Amino acid sequence: MNSSDRIALQRYAAAYDGLSVTNEEAALRAADLRAAEQALASAGEYMTSPRVSLLQKKEAVRDALKTAPQTAAFIELLLDAKRYSLLPAITRQVEELLNGRLNIIRAEVYSARELSAEQKKKTEEALSARYGGKAEASFHTDPNLLGGLKIWCRGELVDGSLQGQLAKLREELTK
Amino acid sequence: MAIRPEEITNIIKEKIERFDAQADISEVGTVIQVGDGIARVHGLSNVKASELVDFGNGVKGMAMNLEYDNVGCVLMGADHLVHEGGTVKRTGEVISIPVGADMIGRVVDPLGNALDGKGEIKTDKNMPLDIVAPGIIDRQPVKQPLQTGIKAIDAMVPIGKGQRELIIGDRQTGKTAIAVDAIINQKNIPESERCICIYVAVGQKQSTVAQVVKTLTDFGAMDYTVVVSATASDPASLLYIAPYAGCAIGEYFMWQGKDVLIVYDDLSKHAQAYRQMSLLLRRPPGREAYPGDVFYLHSRLLERACKLSKENGGGSLTALPIIETQANDVSAYIPTNVISITDGQIYLESSLFLSGIKPAINVGLSVSRVGGSAQRKSMRKVAGTLRIDLSQYQELAGFAQFGSELDKESQRQIARGKRMTELLKQDQYSPLKVGEEVLVLYAGVHGYLDGIEVTDVLAYEKQLLAYARAERADVLDELNTSNELTKELEEKVVALLDAFKSVFKAGK
Repeated sequence: MNSSDRIALQRYAAAYDGLSVTNEEAALRAADLRAAEQALASAGEYMTSPRVSLLQKKEAVRDALKTAPQTAAFIELLLDAKRYSLLPAITRQVEELLNGRLNIIRAEVYSARELSAEQKKKTEEALSARYGGKAEASFHTDPNLLGGLKIWCRGELVDGSLQGQLAKLREELTK
Repeated sequence: MAIRPEEITNIIKEKIERFDAQADISEVGTVIQVGDGIARVHGLSNVKASELVDFGNGVKGMAMNLEYDNVGCVLMGADHLVHEGGTVKRTGEVISIPVGADMIGRVVDPLGNALDGKGEIKTDKNMPLDIVAPGIIDRQPVKQPLQTGIKAIDAMVPIGKGQRELIIGDRQTGKTAIAVDAIINQKNIPESERCICIYVAVGQKQSTVAQVVKTLTDFGAMDYTVVVSATASDPASLLYIAPYAGCAIGEYFMWQGKDVLIVYDDLSKHAQAYRQMSLLLRRPPGREAYPGDVFYLHSRLLERACKLSKENGGGSLTALPIIETQANDVSAYIPTNVISITDGQIYLESSLFLSGIKPAINVGLSVSRVGGSAQRKSMRKVAGTLRIDLSQYQELAGFAQFGSELDKESQRQIARGKRMTELLKQDQYSPLKVGEEVLVLYAGVHGYLDGIEVTDVLAYEKQLLAYARAERADVLDELNTSNELTKELEEKVVALLDAFKSVFKAGK
């Protein structure tokens, strides 16, 4: 994705998010967009094929999104502006804007083994305390870490994994 | 001494015991694009301009372009070790170089790593590469002479300690030779006044740098010299920081009250490296495709040359930047920029070089804008009218070429000019002490050469110096040490020259 695409997607996402006044509305709209994106993704090549005319594509969007006319209008706008390919990225950006509204902090947590429910809860609490806000983490396993946690959050990397410490030790010893 | 195994084990143990097992928290970004020594990084939203960032695998980079949604970084190492999607860490530091007395006699890269295989360099201080030059209050006027040991320069374009004197000319005109001679000449100067020398090689062939280091070593000049080398095979980012690195090393000594001489060889390649980086970072190109701030690139470097005030220890940093011109074109972009920044230039011409005048200094176009006040009084007295005499000679010589009849006075001027031009020739790697220069020039200016064939002038100089060193070392010593040419001293010099007349054997 090039620089102008990244700038464009942020503008579209900000405009879509700006339609909502309250946080509840924004949450509903974000959910609509997510559902729409998934539904259209399942349509496969239909939406991207040049053999399907713009009118037909718009028709399909309106049919699929009868319950959410504004979301349909938004996607039609993307089709008109030839920015349809940015839809998945825009959806993610809209969710991030929603997180900002709700003061939710997204984090990616990697551990060597699956964490217990208790451990997950503690991790989220620790993140909430550090970053201020409600932390919602998605948990992944990566056996290469050997032990400890590796957390990505708000552009920061908290590396407490055994793998990271061994790498640091190696650097220290070979210096 | 052999390495004892338990020693190493102990060191390792100690390192492991001291190892900090805390979790690392770092601000990170993701590489979205890498190539041509440039990486674009997403994230790192708090990174500052010129901050050092860590790409892992031992590759560091510098944040140059802070844009709306990405950061453009130049890589300080091999770009094949950096991959798309890789993480980049902020370090919170600007780029810096280790400095200290241990650097002297070493060859280092712009990051301070030894390149000469003489082991680790032990220093306890780091200096940032790019700092703002000392202000007006911190300085004092340039007033002490810096002897280069080259007659033509010390007499006609004198350089003061803290001055910036550009050496400019085409390729193969002896630009580096002048700089190297100036470094070698510091050996002739008593240790208390001797400059610590720094030779910064930017974008040169490794073989050329090796040659310079060998020459300096052979003449014993590495005892007080640091060589900073970023050769043609290094990434543009290293070429870009090399002069700043050399300057930072020099400033360390300067702030200790010492005198430093720094040679940037050469700034044309430095500007080209910066142009390469700027274009790859998609900064808009300007004249000759250089970016708009290429003037600032050199002015902020050369402004750091200065003579510190007494309160600051009185140290100095003298800069001899070198610029290579194409086909004697001094009106190209980079030459005009650097000419306007520096306090004068030594202009070397290939036509002079090819006609056997070495050093090939064009007397008319070479100037020193502060040097006069920084010249020794004895030298000023001897060389006072030399510049004007020589330029008048050149004018007359032009006339004489048309075969017109000349009056006696003009003929005398031409004869004198020919001999002076001959006298100002000097071999490479043979810098003279200031007293020797004064003696030789005195002989020329006061007509002792007029009765000698032009072809014998260099023999006269050689024999005169040998005679003076052997028979009248006291006069030479006095000329070396005394600032002024007093009446008594002048009488001694005249007596020496008169006595030498009978000793001189022409044709040898």
